Amino acid sequence: MSASGPANYEYVVARIRHRRAGLFGDDEYRKLLRMGTGEIARFMEDSTYKDAVDSLASRHRGMDLVEYALNEGLAAEFDALLSWSEGRLYDQLAKYLRKFDAWNVKTVFRGLYSHADTDAVRADLVDAGEFDAAFLDELLSADSVETVVDALSGTIFDTYLEPAFADYEAEDSLVPLENAVDRAYYENLNPSQPATAAQDSPEALYAEFLTAEIDFRNARNALRLARSGVSVDPAAYFIEGGTLFEASEMTTLVERQSDLVSRIQDSTYGDELSTALTALEESDSLIGFEHALDRALLSYSDHLSYVYPTSVCPVLAYVLAKEREVDNIRAIARGREAGMSEDEIQAELVML
Amino acid sequence: MFETFTQLSTILAETGSNMPAITPKAAAALAVGLAALAAGYAERGIGSAAVGAIAEDPDLFGTGLILTVLPETLVILALVVVFVVPTPF
Repeated sequence: MSASGPANYEYVVARIRHRRAGLFGDDEYRKLLRMGTGEIARFMEDSTYKDAVDSLASRHRGMDLVEYALNEGLAAEFDALLSWSEGRLYDQLAKYLRKFDAWNVKTVFRGLYSHADTDAVRADLVDAGEFDAAFLDELLSADSVETVVDALSGTIFDTYLEPAFADYEAEDSLVPLENAVDRAYYENLNPSQPATAAQDSPEALYAEFLTAEIDFRNARNALRLARSGVSVDPAAYFIEGGTLFEASEMTTLVERQSDLVSRIQDSTYGDELSTALTALEESDSLIGFEHALDRALLSYSDHLSYVYPTSVCPVLAYVLAKEREVDNIRAIARGREAGMSEDEIQAELVML
Repeated sequence: MFETFTQLSTILAETGSNMPAITPKAAAALAVGLAALAAGYAERGIGSAAVGAIAEDPDLFGTGLILTVLPETLVILALVVVFVVPTPF
């Protein structure tokens, strides 16, 4: 667990490949679809979430138990990943896992904005990033958005949040703040690779993975904007570092959706995204497209992890797959609780 | 450093003009050593992957062990070279 010395890709990749194979598959999801929340918790007790469920079972019941156990399982999993990693791998992974810091900060903002009570917000925080539990509690105890912004000074979000806070006060909308957090995270990953790096150097592979993720996120944002028809400046939502779009062309692309779609089709991700685009054309639903986009990102990350087995790619692909599993279980549990039918829930799942 | 080389070359020159600096057997021994070094390097990666796999599932111990020592065949093949090379004297 240190950032010095050579990276131990072999060890970490062997372990995560084993864990990857143990993630829930179609069969498990099909079983879960027929269960109530209590049964789902019991089912999780027989899986990798055993420790989390055991430690929480005495204090929580039903949906709460599932929710807490999922978050705790996720945090424990990524802490373990970090504790195995050494050298450059540790460095890259730690930077990547700051996405949970970004998630936590956004959740705290939303909680304050909607005046949710502290316990409910705490339940949604994932203690997997750089912020430790004490700092998260400090953020939670803040009584206004401004206090949170102040508390975050000195972190990577600092320089991005200050101008956004002025916008927030002017517009009374969380969008600039959330957007600033996202941009702080992605731009700190610094995917731009040195020009001298070889195509399969560790930096280049890390960059390739992150570029794909940023491109997919930009594509999703662009389509959402194109769909909603809201007149906001798309460039404000643009995340630097991708190869698919330029900030300057976002406005014109968002106005004409057909151009946007054909642009994605002609890109390097065309093959991966073709199913997603067909889904968009057929069902005309954005949810279907977003799920197809998630699926495409998962399969693209898998593709990268098989092409470059001893690199950071398989580890990041596992992080994505694990997150997806947690989202799926949560969707099933929530769906069952709300009394949705199996087919409706199934449509919400992202499976490979 | 340079002095050592001069001394070494003088010794080698004295030991006899019709004898090579490195005898065939010595060359073969070097080959075995290099092969062992290469095998060690190969086992380093396989071994750490195997330990990772065993940490997740102890049942993989047998498979991991076999895969880890597989590059050892390199050394055995190199050992054959020692017997194939003739003794000149």
